[in-house]
Amino acid sequence: MTTELITQETLANGRTYIHRTSAHCETGVTTALFRDKGLDISEPMIFGIGSGIFFGHLPFIKQTGLPISTFRSIPGLVFKKAAQRLGVKVFRERFRSPQKGMDELRRVIRTGQIVAVTTNIYWLSFFPRRYRFNFSGHNFVVLYENENGFRISDPALLEYTTDCSAFDMERARFARGPMEPRGLMYYPISVNPNPDIRKACITGMTDSCKQMLGIPIPLFGVKGMRYVAKKILIWPEKLGYVEACRQLAHILRLQEEMGTGGAGFRYIFAAFLQEAGELFGSKELNELSNEMTAIGDVWREFAVVSSRIIKNRKSKSEETFEKAGGLMLICAGREEELFKNLRDVIGKLKT
Amino acid sequence: MKINEVPQDDVPDYSEGIKKGNYALDDKGKYVMVPSKGWVIDEMINRMAYDEYREKEEETRQAVLAGKKSPLAYYMELRQMTPEILGKTAGIAAFRVKRHLRPEIFAKLKPSVLEAYVKALAITSEELQTVPQNPRER
Repeated sequence: MTTELITQETLANGRTYIHRTSAHCETGVTTALFRDKGLDISEPMIFGIGSGIFFGHLPFIKQTGLPISTFRSIPGLVFKKAAQRLGVKVFRERFRSPQKGMDELRRVIRTGQIVAVTTNIYWLSFFPRRYRFNFSGHNFVVLYENENGFRISDPALLEYTTDCSAFDMERARFARGPMEPRGLMYYPISVNPNPDIRKACITGMTDSCKQMLGIPIPLFGVKGMRYVAKKILIWPEKLGYVEACRQLAHILRLQEEMGTGGAGFRYIFAAFLQEAGELFGSKELNELSNEMTAIGDVWREFAVVSSRIIKNRKSKSEETFEKAGGLMLICAGREEELFKNLRDVIGKLKT
Repeated sequence: MKINEVPQDDVPDYSEGIKKGNYALDDKGKYVMVPSKGWVIDEMINRMAYDEYREKEEETRQAVLAGKKSPLAYYMELRQMTPEILGKTAGIAAFRVKRHLRPEIFAKLKPSVLEAYVKALAITSEELQTVPQNPRER
């Protein structure tokens, strides 16, 4: 690991790249790519415009043998949607052959174009060892080639740029297993210098409301939260106390540990609502931001209560699964209300 | 969450000095990004998942030493793989990988098959023949 903290890099064509830290990998990478093209939009804005907020329970996709409860939309979608809504033309491709995928990456960065890649964390040795799980869905930006392999900028994890060996890069990009990245690389080709940000915000918010309220499957959106909350209530009886704790810990990992900006992306969405409120001069949006913050605080409380349950799993604790599940039900109820209100507020906004 | 509520716990063994971004409100009620040193709750749930892998890995190591499993099983666990993932990586059908986890079948494998595993697991051919005598440190 590098000891000196470098945050400014010169690319192959002599341009300057400035590394900035972000809360989440995909939004951070998207922000960096757009900024490199001269479109300076904050991370929460990208998150909101790309409709990143979500909730989904995926019993059929297993990670470390446990079902996933996700707090955001499918990886890759935020970039795609944000690009579309801001009028950014993108290059986005997967590769069948690792050789071709690596050659293409090298060719593009040689021209001075920075490239985002999707990777499997296990094979990235610049990560702290305890972060390295077999999970394919981490994004970072490749800047240029150097004697150690590649110079990269990982906005979500590091406060500075670092090196990644060519071996790590190839293994991580072409790791097999669930959610294979298949060498996915993407970058903007051209941006619209004066995008209609208001319109993009409205599209993003409308889409978020649909995702949270309108999917007619009980595993997604607010319904999914209720589904999981009710499961939590019966876990201790159904699975036994220790296994129930294991499952609860898995929810917490996806909510807090995996770089979400706190409370499973709820705070970052509140930051977006606040910024949008300023943009539109809308008091209502600002109030919704405050409510989203309050809901985030409840999610945080859920995390604290759950962690107490897990911590004392050998000697049953004073906190109960009823309380944890109950907090999640509160979140579900309040988020339902919030997105319904947001839907009404959008109708009044002017583009 | 306000800036002073962003957890700043000392968990060097977990974070190795790396900070995570949190969004929090400043004095004026405006959202800003605040780097967090770490949170004991993050550390705890990470350790649970991490230890789970380590325990499985150690169990498999013991089983290999006892002659119940092939060294392939140990390195598969070490790389956090399942027979399905290892099979895809090495280009060998998962049901064959599962058979190769048995020591008597593993012993008769052709060099070409072993070579495929060596590459998939990023280890040397010598390593694949045996497992470490002592548990891996951390």
